[in-house]
Amino acid sequence: MSAEIVSLDLRPVLRAGGEPIADIMRVVSRLEPGQGLRLMTTFKPVPLFGLLDKKGFDHAESQLADGEWEVLFTPRPDRRAPAPVRTVAAEDALAASGAEWPAPTRFLDNRDLEQPEPMIRTLAATEQMRPGEVLSVLLDRRPVFLLPELDRRGHLWRGGLEDDGKTYRLSVLIREGRGETQ
Amino acid sequence: MPGASVARWSMSYFAAALACLLAGLALMAAGFGYPSQPAQAPDTLVVVHLVALGWLSALMLGALTQFVPVLVSQKLYSDRAPPIVLACHFLGLAGLLGGFVGLGRSWRSSVFLLPAGGLLLSLGFALAILNLGATLARNRPLAAPARIVAAGLASLPIVFGLGVVFTLALGGWAPGAGAARLLADDLSIHAAAGLGGWLTLTAFGVSYRLLAMFMLAPDAGGRLTEAVFWLGAGALIMLLQAVPGASPRLILAPRVLAVVFGSAAVAIYLWEVAGLFRQRKRRKLELNSKMSAVALAWLAVAAIALPASLAAEAPSPAPETLLFIAAFGWLTGLGLAMLYKIVAFLTWLECYGHWLGKRRTPRVQDLVREERALPWFVLYHVAVLCGAAALMLQWGVAFRFASLAMLCAAAAIGLEVLRIRRLAAVPAELAPPEGPPPLLFSRLRPTNA
Repeated sequence: MSAEIVSLDLRPVLRAGGEPIADIMRVVSRLEPGQGLRLMTTFKPVPLFGLLDKKGFDHAESQLADGEWEVLFTPRPDRRAPAPVRTVAAEDALAASGAEWPAPTRFLDNRDLEQPEPMIRTLAATEQMRPGEVLSVLLDRRPVFLLPELDRRGHLWRGGLEDDGKTYRLSVLIREGRGETQ
Repeated sequence: MPGASVARWSMSYFAAALACLLAGLALMAAGFGYPSQPAQAPDTLVVVHLVALGWLSALMLGALTQFVPVLVSQKLYSDRAPPIVLACHFLGLAGLLGGFVGLGRSWRSSVFLLPAGGLLLSLGFALAILNLGATLARNRPLAAPARIVAAGLASLPIVFGLGVVFTLALGGWAPGAGAARLLADDLSIHAAAGLGGWLTLTAFGVSYRLLAMFMLAPDAGGRLTEAVFWLGAGALIMLLQAVPGASPRLILAPRVLAVVFGSAAVAIYLWEVAGLFRQRKRRKLELNSKMSAVALAWLAVAAIALPASLAAEAPSPAPETLLFIAAFGWLTGLGLAMLYKIVAFLTWLECYGHWLGKRRTPRVQDLVREERALPWFVLYHVAVLCGAAALMLQWGVAFRFASLAMLCAAAAIGLEVLRIRRLAAVPAELAPPEGPPPLLFSRLRPTNA
């Protein structure tokens, strides 16, 4: 029944300083009834246990040789079909961006930074990336001054609150040549 | 387009507001109006309205034009309304002040200047309510801080409605005895709805968000914030009940209930904001947060003094002292502290937002020189303390000296704000290629979304 388990190796992302929790929750929200999830991580992902328990998963963790962990989340029989993704992404999504975007190549955790540091870091990252790449950013709140600036520079973005109700997840698809010429 | 941009006209509002504050303080220092003259003398009304409308209301209108879109993550409903509101507001204020000045000197022109000024002011406020209200309405259901701002806006018609009635009465358009009774009865409601409703509730709503943002504290907006909204709204309804003939009398002692609800709202607000300070992740406070804390302390003093001043016998200076503390300790204190930060942030965003990531840019803190501004803020609040004491002791000369000290401090803070806007503290190599921004309005850049 291996097809009934989706595997995610998060170790490269975690080592690069990324925050994959939103990705995990996205994958979870797309699991079919009866499908399980296997995660490989660089630490014991305790916060996930509670989050996924609420969504109807039991967990079994085992430590791998070098301090890394493998966790298997198995759905309880009462787990229902996934609810539609409850983020506000639809509100923010640009019409043009309906299609699937490539997986993010760069992750930023801009939470707990004093204003306007999150905006500075995000824009600095967009300037270093190539067209077609996707930047994934976690923020404390909806970045009201950043979004118009991304528009001005011609990038596409999607954003919405994560399921925790606090973290705002922003994805930026880098585009070139449409922004103002400064 | 979702998101907010720099509001084009906020700087004009701020500059005109600061000019009115300085003019008001200069008049107080010169011994114009209370306490040299009675509290309801025409010259006192000049000073009161110069401060309440020219300074506090204009500052709040300019700030809301910028921050209501931030609160609800929506564009301002109309970008054309703010300059019209600004023009109506200051033309109306000029008429009103001219009318008051003439009233004390039996000029015939007051008969027309007073109601004309009152109507123009009302027109400006009504347009501002429509514009800000329509912006808020785009993002319903509103979070509690935005709803508190809406309640503050809803207080405005009570204030300017009564105000227009007063201008008609003072201008001699209403029969004498009735007008005199109306003035005596409703003046306190006019003042309470203005300072307590319009200015204080909007300051609550905006400060919840700004303080959380500047101190890296979790956003307020839970049940306590809800309670502040309901109590504030309740106090307003009680005030409306207290206006004779304005609505069917349903409640006994609406004024007492308004005070109870209002005091409870203040207490809960202060408790929650103290929580923001405690839970902040940024340990070292910036000047604006420290000075906001002093203003909050003044709010606490005013709330504690409120029942005492209402219970005071008629010749007591307690009510005037309370109004002084509310206007200069709390609202002006908070206004100056926030202005210092807001102008720095907006100027930084306007000058460097489009350069971020493309070239080296200064930090927002590089635009300010807190060590230069701090002594003036301290002087300001010490002077407010002295002024309040002088009012209570009815020591007119001391009050004028305290006003002079407040004037010097406010002027110096105004100069610091001007230096921020001119990018005076930014090293030459980090100056924006376009040069410093215009003083009185913001350059806008088109969005191509």
